[in-house]
Amino acid sequence: MARPTSKTNEPRYDVLWPLSRKAVERKDAANRVPDLNGKVVAELWDVIFRGEEIYPLVREYIKKRFPGVKFVNYNEFGNFHGAREHEVSATIPDTLRAYKVDAAIVGIGA
Amino acid sequence: MVEKLGIPTASIIGSGFLKQAEVIKKGLGVPLAIGVYPGAPMVDSAAELKRKVEEVLAPDLLRALTGEAPTADETVAEPQAGEVILSGTFDEIQEHFHRQLWTDGLPIVPPTRERVDAFLAFTDRKPEDSVRILPQEGREASMLSIAINGVMSGCRPEYMPVLIAIIEAMADPLYRVEDSGSTPGWEPVVIVSGPIIKELDLNFGQGMMRVGRQANTSIGRFVRMYLRNICGFRIPPGAGDKGSIGQSFLVAMAEDEDSARALGWPTYGQDRGFAAGENVVTLHSVVAITSPMYSGGDQAATHVQQWTDIIGGSFTYWAHTGFKTGLWSPLIVASPSIAGVIAKEWTKDQVRQYLYENMKVTAERATHYARMTSTPTFSFENLVKDGILPPDYTASNDPQRLVNVIIDPKMVEILVAGDPGRNQSRAYMSNHVQGPPTSRRVVLPKKWQQLLAEKK
Repeated sequence: MARPTSKTNEPRYDVLWPLSRKAVERKDAANRVPDLNGKVVAELWDVIFRGEEIYPLVREYIKKRFPGVKFVNYNEFGNFHGAREHEVSATIPDTLRAYKVDAAIVGIGA
Repeated sequence: MVEKLGIPTASIIGSGFLKQAEVIKKGLGVPLAIGVYPGAPMVDSAAELKRKVEEVLAPDLLRALTGEAPTADETVAEPQAGEVILSGTFDEIQEHFHRQLWTDGLPIVPPTRERVDAFLAFTDRKPEDSVRILPQEGREASMLSIAINGVMSGCRPEYMPVLIAIIEAMADPLYRVEDSGSTPGWEPVVIVSGPIIKELDLNFGQGMMRVGRQANTSIGRFVRMYLRNICGFRIPPGAGDKGSIGQSFLVAMAEDEDSARALGWPTYGQDRGFAAGENVVTLHSVVAITSPMYSGGDQAATHVQQWTDIIGGSFTYWAHTGFKTGLWSPLIVASPSIAGVIAKEWTKDQVRQYLYENMKVTAERATHYARMTSTPTFSFENLVKDGILPPDYTASNDPQRLVNVIIDPKMVEILVAGDPGRNQSRAYMSNHVQGPPTSRRVVLPKKWQQLLAEKK
């Protein structure tokens, strides 16, 4: 376990790496959507940090540049970080498919 | 994770949370496209918020959806699990581990093969057996990793069955270990039940929450070490732990089960649904602690009313987070002397019911607290409508109506422990659905008694 060093007579220790294997399945990012006209953008919100003010402003900003974009309001998905986080998260893929979503905005981590 | 479904996604992140996002991104294994909100939205004026969204956040989000797709970070090669990564003196090892952010700031016990094997002898499971892939770095919660971090924390090998049960509780999805780095800076406390309390010499009496007794102290330290090393919750210069102020690790708790039984009350382990005599570990978040609660007299109601006043005074503010999620738990550590007075008249359920009925806050105050913290849209009406809170929270629309601070009497937890020679109790508040009380049976190795005898 410990070997004395020749110079100081202090033991030396061979120590193990204290972390464990990362088991993360890596995935590339999805292709982006250069033209949002005619596309559907989903809003997902964890109902904190003034999203009720931020999302409408973001919506307005994007609509000015892509008037043909459609938004699916965050209320359609529910709070993905609240009391029913696991239940809501489980329904999100189906809701995204149901609305034929092309892109999503998720927040708010602050 | 929406991006993993093949849908281009842009995430809104406050500028103070970018390091946290980096850690999460690596754990998810998918590149993140981010729109940054500069600063903290909760303190900006409406005009300032509008300016920041229009000038910074919205353009970022638009670029993230329409521009170049974000690219993955290059994979960094890591050692193999159990690999010897350094041979050095005690000081050299401390220095290396500190530099790598593999310690909690205190010196660690060098995790040598021999020491780690001594821990692994206290489980019948294989070193590579993994409880779960744990957030937020996506690492395996292997027996080997538990043993190594147990060694480093100063545990004794015979604590290994308790350490495994802790990580099994931590790995329960309902415990939400991924929220361990949230800004309230909550800390888990371990509560040990069963005969193993005495077998491992845990302190359940005077000074039970002080550092000083090896089992309590090193097991508590292990939890924080594991959260740092395997889950990746590190404060600066690391990342991943966003506790704004935070708190230090809590030493493990244990119940004075002899006293609890003598009073005729079920033990804490029985309250958690286990049979008397079973060894159990419960992991429980702690976001706030009351002052010491002194109470006197020979009437149950006098003591429990005192608890109501002090727990209400300490925890009512943060209870709004429980209202939002439908769950929070006060854990009361009752001195055997006080529990003895109460138990002559009341069951534990009667204590719970009294606290539930008598701890109140006005709807207006609770709403104000929620709006100050993070949720300007907080509304009891919506929470009741969504079935998160029971209907009595909207019994009227008077903002000055009193609502229960405790959502359900069953959420009150009571542990008999502490100084039997003093009339003091203390209460610990969980952080709503983050780290709710989560229990696991402690599985002993087949040769437990023999192994234990060899260590003593």
